[in-house]
Parts: sequence; structure tokens; C-alpha cells
Amino acid sequence: MATPAVNNNNTEIEKVKSPSGFKIIVREFIKDKVALISLILFLGIVLYVYIYSMGLDTKEVTRVDIFNQFQEPGPVHWLGTDYGGRDVYNQLILGARNSLTIGIAITLITSIIGIALGLLAGYYGGWVDNVVMRTVDFVLVLPALMIIIVYVSIVPEFDVRKFIFIMSLFYWTSKCRLIRSKALAEREHEYVAASKTLGTPDWKIMLFQVLPNLSSIIIVNMTLNLAGNIGIETSLTYLGFGLPESVPSLGTLISYSRNPEVMENKPWVWLPAAILILVLMLCINFIGNALKRAADARQRLG
Amino acid sequence: MTLLKIENLKVYYPVRGGFFRRVIDHVKAVDDISFELQPGETYGLVGESGCGKTTTGRTIIGLNRPTAGKITFNDVELTKITRRDFYKYRKDIQMIFQDPYSSLNPRKRVIDIIAEPIRNFERLSPKEERMKIMEVLEKVGLSPESIYKYPHEFSGGQRQRIGIARALTLNPKLIIADEPVSALDVSVQAQVLNFMKDIQKEFNLTYLFISHDLGIIRHMCDRIGIMYRGRLVEEGTKEEIFENPQHIYTKRLLSSIPQMNPEERLKHMAFRKEVNQEFKNNYDKYFDAEGKIFDLKPISETHSVALP
Repeated sequence: MATPAVNNNNTEIEKVKSPSGFKIIVREFIKDKVALISLILFLGIVLYVYIYSMGLDTKEVTRVDIFNQFQEPGPVHWLGTDYGGRDVYNQLILGARNSLTIGIAITLITSIIGIALGLLAGYYGGWVDNVVMRTVDFVLVLPALMIIIVYVSIVPEFDVRKFIFIMSLFYWTSKCRLIRSKALAEREHEYVAASKTLGTPDWKIMLFQVLPNLSSIIIVNMTLNLAGNIGIETSLTYLGFGLPESVPSLGTLISYSRNPEVMENKPWVWLPAAILILVLMLCINFIGNALKRAADARQRLG
Repeated sequence: MTLLKIENLKVYYPVRGGFFRRVIDHVKAVDDISFELQPGETYGLVGESGCGKTTTGRTIIGLNRPTAGKITFNDVELTKITRRDFYKYRKDIQMIFQDPYSSLNPRKRVIDIIAEPIRNFERLSPKEERMKIMEVLEKVGLSPESIYKYPHEFSGGQRQRIGIARALTLNPKLIIADEPVSALDVSVQAQVLNFMKDIQKEFNLTYLFISHDLGIIRHMCDRIGIMYRGRLVEEGTKEEIFENPQHIYTKRLLSSIPQMNPEERLKHMAFRKEVNQEFKNNYDKYFDAEGKIFDLKPISETHSVALP
């Protein structure tokens, strides 16, 4: 509270203050140990990856050194080297950073587009809704995967930014639909009508009245989408339609296992990346589920 | 001087169907009604559910668009001015909503809910704002300490008081009360109603009181309009309506009030049957060939009935 003390019972009032949404989430995490550990682990990995990768140079890490091919894990190369003699550990860090950046960026961009359009469509209804929903339908009927693959093959110097762009172009639709359907239900509540009679402009009602009521579903959806988007990146790269080898990602590391020799006899190349993905996905899902429960009073543990 | 004047108000909703979703018919939610509100009085709008009374209220405050007709408030025609100009009159007309559970945003604290109109119309420092909200809360009988609570921590009656407090903060001239107590239990109803009467005297408010509960209407209102199928069937002072009902629909409504006196139960039942018989026999006298209600005709200075 920003206001200075008005009267003596100010501190008492402070005490009666009921828990806000954030406090409920904190309580839920404290109660759910798995989610708490997941959160700490996830944040730890993210921080470590981003800080460590600041000292790494992508060009240096991805420089081919034929004489060092397929070194087993040892004191020089913690996790050994791949067929180009490149250090797997450094690639893993850079790859994790790239994959996380892609996942987070796609999630944020698609969320912003989806929330903005979905809110407009759901709140106003009528022709606004029609225009937005037909656009969504149009994007949905496009063969997204094929267009992405074609885009990847024709664009020179494919990198993280271009990948984020092409993915965001297609993956905002489901979020837009979700938000729209919730906004449609929400605007029928009397408090929206009440806000109108109190003279609140439409944009304020949308942002400060309707949106907070959708916040729980947005947070949950964003967390779970983050896992999905990292998965999409890795699987596309695994198939060979994602990032090139010069831009390491978790997907590129795993895609080395397409070679049966690497798959069977040289697990140090792909196993760390696979385990890291597994850990990240599990962490994100546990966190997402805890948030989901916090959003619903009936499921809450804390 | 008339505070609010409704003239030939019509609100139609299109029914779409067939090929290309053309308009094939209209639902006549409100079909040509006129009435006036004098400053300081309580006007009751009564009728069964679906007769258009809520639509009338929501149209006056601007939540629905009228299809035709004039709404004049303090000599300004609200139906003609643009939305931007209407903003100025928002302050003077406020609404109390029917459902205290959905009319308060569950994500907002009481202070934010009540401060919403203040933030829209007045520039107050956070400190002044807080003082004003505490003052209003005290007036509606809630403890000022509850400003940081969420709506779900209150009972239905308390929530309705928060709704009333929100409507009162701007010192409006006219309050449209859309079944303000129908979601509350009877003991709380009396509390809220008496409170509404008290503040009416204090702030010289005019109420448009929408309800289907005749007991409450009798308790609250000075003048009453009976609505049926989107039209007014009878209009008059409280005494005229309750002592001398003219239209068969009014009679039926009144005969449906349960009698408290058990000794007169049989007598009341006979009266109900009689009214029902009259309704069946003289249907044509009260409704025209299409089942439509006639226009209102004055039978005394204040009393008018829809008769041919």
C-alpha cells in the first residue's frame, strides 16, 4: 500500500488484508514439495545455462576438430565430443540456452497476440469476433508444418530469431481461441455491465476487469505451452528441419543419434540432451500443475 | 419538474433464421411504453419474469440500445446524444444490480470496486479516496476495515450493500434498482430495503424500482406501473393499484399474493378462482384480437389502465 498512515488503526487494517493471488500461489508451492523442487531446479538450470553461456562463443564451440572425434567423457571434455570433435558439454549449454530462448520467446509472443486478439473478439463479439475468428480459421487450415519446413529450407542463414518468427506466426491461434471463449463467458457477468454504468471505458474494462479474471488460465496455459514449444523446437530440429548444426540446440544434439553407431555405442553425445529435456519438461509440468491448482479453490492444497 | 421521462420506448431484438441468417421476426422485449419519474419518488415497475422490466431499466442506463422512443433525463434527450456526451450523465444515473454475486468483480478488493466510479469521474489523491470510501462503507453499514477484503468474504446482504455503496459514491440523482433484493433471504431483504429508504431521504434520491415481489413494491413505492408482455397494463399510485385494480392482469397478480390469515384462506381461494374465471370469460375485453395489450387510457388523474 502506497498511502501513508491515515489513522491509528491503519496497521490493524493491514492485518485483515486477505491473501492476494500471488500469495495463494506461494502457499501452493510451499505445500507441494515436488512443485517447489521443480521450480528451484528449473530456475537453477535456467540461470546456470544463461550465465555460463555468456562466456561461450558459438563459433568457438562449433569449430570442427577432426582429430578430437568421439572422445569419451574425460577431464578435458566433461561429456566427450561429437563426430566433429566439438565439446558436447559446451554444446549442451548453448543448446539449452537456444532451446529455452526459443520456447520462452514463442510462448510470450503467441500469448501477447492471442490474448490481445482473443480479448477483443470475446469482449466485443459481433463483427470483431467474426473477423478475428475467420482469420484464426484461415491460419488453422494452412498446413503449418509444411510451410515451416519450406521456409526453413529456402531461407538462408536460418537462426534463432527467424525460427521464433515462423513459429509464432502459426502457434498463436489456439491461445486466441482459448482466451476468446473465456472472455465471451466473462463479459456476460454483471460486473462488466456494472463497470459500464460506472463510466469505465471499454479498454479499461477489458484490461483491468476481464483480464485479471482470466489471469489464472493464462498463467497455466503459458507454463504448459512453454514445455510444448521447447518440444516442438527439438522435434523439428531432430527431424532436420530446425536449426542448423552451427546453431546448437537440444534438438541438434539429439539428432546425432540418428546415426545408429552413435545411438548404440556413443550415448554421451545425445543422452545428456535427452535427460535435460526430460528434466525441463517434467519441471515445467509440475510447476504448471501447481499453478493450475492454485487457480482453482477446490483443488488447492495450501 | 419531471426527472425522467420515457416516451414510446421500444426495444426489439431481431430473431434471425433461415438462409443467410436474415431477420425473420422480432422479440418485442419492450413494446411502446411511456412513464415519468418525479424527483424524490419511487416508481415501481412490476411484472412477471420476461415481461421486459429489466430491459427497460438497462435501456435507460444505456446498456441496451432502444429501437425507438425517447428517454429524457433532466430535459436532455439521452437517446439522441452520442456516447461521449452520455458520459456526463453517467454520474447522475446509477444502477443497483440484481445478483450481488456476479455484479462484483471477484478479483478486486472492496476498495477498488467502490473506487472505480471515483477514479473515472473525480481526481482524488489516494488518501482522500480512501477516506471517502470508508465514509461510504460506514454509511451502508459495513465496517471500514473491510476495504481490503475480497467480495467472496462477504455474505449476500453485505455484498449487495457494497453494490449500493458503489452506486452511491457519485451522488447520483436517479438509481435504477433492478430487483435489488431478490437474491437475498427475507430477513436481509428488509434490512437492505429499509436502508435504501433511509438513504433516499438523506440524498433525495429517485428510484426506479424493478421487482416482481408485490410485497416489496407495496413497501417501497409511491407509484406503480404493471408490465405484461413488454407493455404497461396499468399505472397508478400505490393505493390505486392495490385497492382498486382495474385490469385483469393486475387483479391476477394481486390475487396471487398469499394470505397471512389462515381463517380467510378459503375466502381467498374463492376470490382467486373468481378472478381466474373473469380472465377466461372476459379475455377479449382486455386483449385485442392478436392478444396484444391496449394502450393506456387515463381513468383518473393518476390512474390509467389499458382498456379499449
